[in-house]
Order: sequence, then structure tokens, then C-alpha cells
Amino acid sequence: MPSNGSNSGAAVWAILRKECRSEWRTRYGLSAALLFAITTLTSVSFAVGRLTDRTDMLAALLWVVLLFAALASLSHAFVREVEGHTLTLLRLVASPTAIGLGKLLFNLVFLVVIEAVTVPLYLMLMGAPPPRWGAFLALLGLGSLGLACAATLIGAVISQTRGRGALFAGVSLPLLLPVLAAAVSGMRAQWAGGPIAAEARLLGAYAAALLAASLLLYDHLWED
Amino acid sequence: MDREVRMIGRLALFLWIAGWMVAAFVWAPLVPVLGETTRVLYFHIPAAWVTVLALAWSMGHSVLYLRRRRIEHDHHAAAAAEIGILFCVAATISGSLWAKAMWGSYWNWDPRETSIFFLLLVYAAYLALRSAIEQEERRARLSAIYSALAFVTVPFLMFVVPRIYFTLHPDPIINPRGKLDMDPRIRIVFFAMLAGFTGLYFWLQTLRVRVARLEHRLDES
Amino acid sequence: MSAVLASAAPDTAVALEARDLTHRYGRRTGLEPVSFALGAPGVVAITGANGSGKSTLLRIVAGLLRATGGTAVLTVEGHAIAPAERRCWVGYAAPELSFYDELSVEENLVFAAEARGLDAPAAAAAAALARVGLDSRAGDRVPALSSGMKQRLRLAFALLHRPPVLLLDEPGSHMDDEGRATLAGLVEQERRARLVLIATNDEREWRLAEQRIELRGRGLGHPA
Repeated sequence: MPSNGSNSGAAVWAILRKECRSEWRTRYGLSAALLFAITTLTSVSFAVGRLTDRTDMLAALLWVVLLFAALASLSHAFVREVEGHTLTLLRLVASPTAIGLGKLLFNLVFLVVIEAVTVPLYLMLMGAPPPRWGAFLALLGLGSLGLACAATLIGAVISQTRGRGALFAGVSLPLLLPVLAAAVSGMRAQWAGGPIAAEARLLGAYAAALLAASLLLYDHLWED
Repeated sequence: MDREVRMIGRLALFLWIAGWMVAAFVWAPLVPVLGETTRVLYFHIPAAWVTVLALAWSMGHSVLYLRRRRIEHDHHAAAAAEIGILFCVAATISGSLWAKAMWGSYWNWDPRETSIFFLLLVYAAYLALRSAIEQEERRARLSAIYSALAFVTVPFLMFVVPRIYFTLHPDPIINPRGKLDMDPRIRIVFFAMLAGFTGLYFWLQTLRVRVARLEHRLDES
Repeated sequence: MSAVLASAAPDTAVALEARDLTHRYGRRTGLEPVSFALGAPGVVAITGANGSGKSTLLRIVAGLLRATGGTAVLTVEGHAIAPAERRCWVGYAAPELSFYDELSVEENLVFAAEARGLDAPAAAAAAALARVGLDSRAGDRVPALSSGMKQRLRLAFALLHRPPVLLLDEPGSHMDDEGRATLAGLVEQERRARLVLIATNDEREWRLAEQRIELRGRGLGHPA
């Protein structure tokens, strides 16, 4: 079987770099997302105040803020391609799976940037007790991975429909609930001093399952 | 001839369900812990069962559509989702009323309640997605992709998450997945209603698919 | 109803064969059943009224669109190329092909070359730009280009990975005389080794071709 310039690894990497460069040049995606995350955070803090002794609430609200930030911003990756009419270009230079992975990695980087700003701010504003950093970051990382996997694929689906923001949130939510449940439970546990092994395993398994399914499904996304 | 067979079938289904519903009130005894609310289990659990059955039917046909690309599979997937959500709402409401009668509150986010609500969300999301796409082929394909992804999620939320939370659900007495510690008469009525509901589901499913097929043929001409 | 058959002796290197190829958009027929057998080298013009399916046909051959009926088989050195792989073997240039506005001309092509896994992406991009006469505009952002220049960029994109098949949809649109001369020169160079399909209603572009396939459709305006 002759091959002529078909290298998925190179494609994924090229797409990731292109996304980062595009985002850096236009920056409206990132600034809008950061603004939204900070607005949500401020609203929560204003409404609820400091919650130093309520670590269960702290865990829950942190993930609600992150979930909202993800839902508001992660569909951007594909919507931008559709609105710029560049999807044809992309489909001609890379396989659907490579496109999906490239966008997924970008969304992950995007989420990490948002969390790097939002999470410390959250801990400070809400008067959270110091977390067990290892467990805390592990949960944050695995949870973000799950969020990104689901949101990227759903973003690709939604970008081909008439619906946009609200539809994206509604359609993604059922897929994000396991992440929410496990992550909140784990966060609570780490503040209470207990083990997070079960939740971490769940988050990891779920992200892996979503990723595996995505790799099979991206091929069917664009056929017209 | 075929028409008459169908008429008789429908009548038989109606009489079956109606008859066993009456039996549930006059013939089957009460479960001690549940008291008068025992009756709900003949409706609520079959409804929940059909919800899951319809979901499996829908997801199965979605995957088949992606592999074979025959529009028939999309008709089945969409029909199953529409019927499934009806039964899901019925199961949720009956469950909620039961919870109120038994434990005093309509909703507690206990694992079973969470699971059925989650299924409601999946159904609603699937139908919402479909309504946002006009082209038939694209609609079939994208909703099948979503369905396949949801298929991965369902086991996680239905079986794994409940282990994390405490449960109020009356598991020891009525556990559809485990062994049944029921009085024989209760068991008979229960299984009869289960069969009746399953029959009801397939009848509705067949009807809805026929409508979809006709609509499709109309669009083609 | 079915189109004129263009006869060509299939070359051993590249062969494109269509049998009753047809496509429907909902209840409308975008491409009436067409059959042909073509081989490299050569230039074939695809003509027909607006809406007869010229663009649709090219998209199907390029693997961008899944036809609703019939078959189109592209064979390279005896191996049939699945639609998902066509992008590696086909150079596609059409009006709907857009580039990334936030990247420069050169950056767009380098991205395409990297994603395709070409060995020397920068060199390939530079070479393609030189062939279409855009090397002086390499550093410009895409929105700064005139529509004629953008058309040249599309041609450069199609030639980038030196594919054995070129699919050109209205390649001369928006071009001035100099641009058309460049186009004619390119087609002249490529015809000796490649299979070139040109979809057009413009007589000046027909004349570049040796054979012609005329699509007889009812005329629907722009499909999709």
C-alpha cells in the first residue's frame, strides 16, 4: 500500500501548534474564557462568602465553576473552524482522528491555563484550607482530562448543527456528570484527609473510556 | 387478515395489562414494609425497565447505523428514544411519588433517583441534538455518534457512581438485579406486568418506526 | 439522464473510475448518475450548468463527501485508495477552500506541509509559492490578499504535496490575465505526469483540456 504523506503524529503536533499560534494571535477565545471564569467565581464568592469550614461545599463549588468555564469555552475550537470555513483545509491535510486529538490537546492546554488562574483565586477568595497538593492536583488533572475529552468531541458534533452555546452545554452535561460526581467526592475526601484512590481510578477509567470511544468516532464526524 | 391479527393483538395487550393491574389490587398481598405503596412497584419498576430497554435499543441501532449506514437503523434509534423518554418520565414521577409516600420527600438524589434522572438527561440531550439538525443523513450520523458516546457513559453513572453515595432505596426487598425475596403472588403479578410493559414498548416502537418510514418515503418523492 | 462517457486508456499509475455515481441532497439530486474511466496523464474538463454537480463530483473524488449512490474508485499503482485516504493523493482547490486569516500565506502552507508529514515543510511551501508566483507575498496575512491572489494560494495548496491527481474547481475565477497565464502554464506542466480534472463553465479553461465530461443536471444553484 503506497503512502504519500500520511503521518498522524506529525499532524496532531502541527495542529496543536497551529491552534496555539492562532489563539495567541487573536486571543479573544482565551480572554473571553478567563473573563467568564472569573465572573462566575466572583459571583459565587459574592453570594456565598468564605467557606473555610465547609470543605464539602468548597469542593462542589470549585467544580461547578470549572464546569461552567469549560462549557463556555471548549466548543470554541471547532466553532472557529466552521465559522472561518477552514474545515475543508483541515480535512484535506489531516485524518479526522488526528484533527480530534490535536484539538483535544489544545483544549487541555486551554483548560490548564484557565485553571492556573481560576483555582488559586478560588482558594484565596473562598478561604479554603490548604489542600493536599498531590491529591488535589491529581484530581484536577484527571477531571480536566475527562472534561476535555467529552467537550472536544461534542464540540465537533455541535459545530455542525444549528444550535450553539446552549445546545453544547445541554448535550455535554450528561457526559460530564460522572466527572463532576467523582471529582467532587475526591476533593471532599482530600480535604477531609481521606484517600482518593477510588475517585482517581474512576476519573482515569472514564477519561480512558471516552478517549477510546472518541478515537473510533471521529472518523464518522465529517462526511459532507 | 393481517389487520385483524393486529387488532386482536392490541386488544390482548390491553386486557393483559388491565387484568394484571386489577390483580395487583385485589389478589397480590402487600409487602409489609411498604404497606399500601406496594402497588407502585408494579408500575414504577416495569417503567424503569422499559426506559433501559429502549435506551439499549436506541444505542444498538445507532451503532448499527454507523456501521451499515441504512436509514432504517436511524428510524429505530429515534423512535426508541422518543418512547424511552416517555417511560423515563413515568418512572421518574412514579418513583418520586413513591419516595414522598415512603420517606416524606419527593427527591433526595439517592443513587437510583440520580440514575433515572441521568437517563432522562441523556434522552433529552439526544432529542435536542436531533432537533437542531435538518438534513436527514447528518442528523442520523451525528446523533448516532452522540448515542455511541453516551453508551460509554451510562455504565459509569448507573453502576459505579452509586458506590460512592449512600442509598435509601429499598434494595433488600425488591432488587431487580439480584434474587427476589418476594411472596409468590407478588412475583407473578410483577413479572406479568413486566411482560405487559415490554409488549407495550415494542408495539409503540413498531408504530413509530412505521410512521418514520412513511415520512421518509414522503420526503423522497 | 446519464452523462457522456469520456473514453481514456487507463494508465498503470493512476486510474479514476466512476460507475453510476450520483448524489442527493435531501430530496434534491445534486449529481445525476455519471460514469467514466480516466487515467493519468491527462487533463479532463468537467462541464455543465450551474447546479449540475461539478463541485459535488470533485468533492466526492477528493473524499470530502460520501456519495449517496454509485461508486468512484481511485487506483494508484494498482491499489484502490479509500475515501479517507484520498487527501494524500489528491490536490484539491475550490472556491470554498479558505485559509486561516490569522496566519500568513507562508504559515498556512507550512502548516499544511507539516500536517501532511512532508519531509521539508518550509522548502515545499516555498517551492509551491514560487510556482504560482506568490513568493513575494509570503509574509502577508491572508486577508490582505486580493481574490486573484487567494486563488493562486489555493493552487499552491493543491500542488504542495505533489499529488498524482489534481482537482481544480473553477481555477481561473477572480484571476487577471497574468494569473490565467500562470494557471495555463501550471496545467501544461502537470498534464505530462498527472491526472488533472478541471470543473468549469469558462471556455478559456475548457481549452486547457484534452477531454470533456459534460454533466447533465437540472440545475439547482449551489449545492450545500
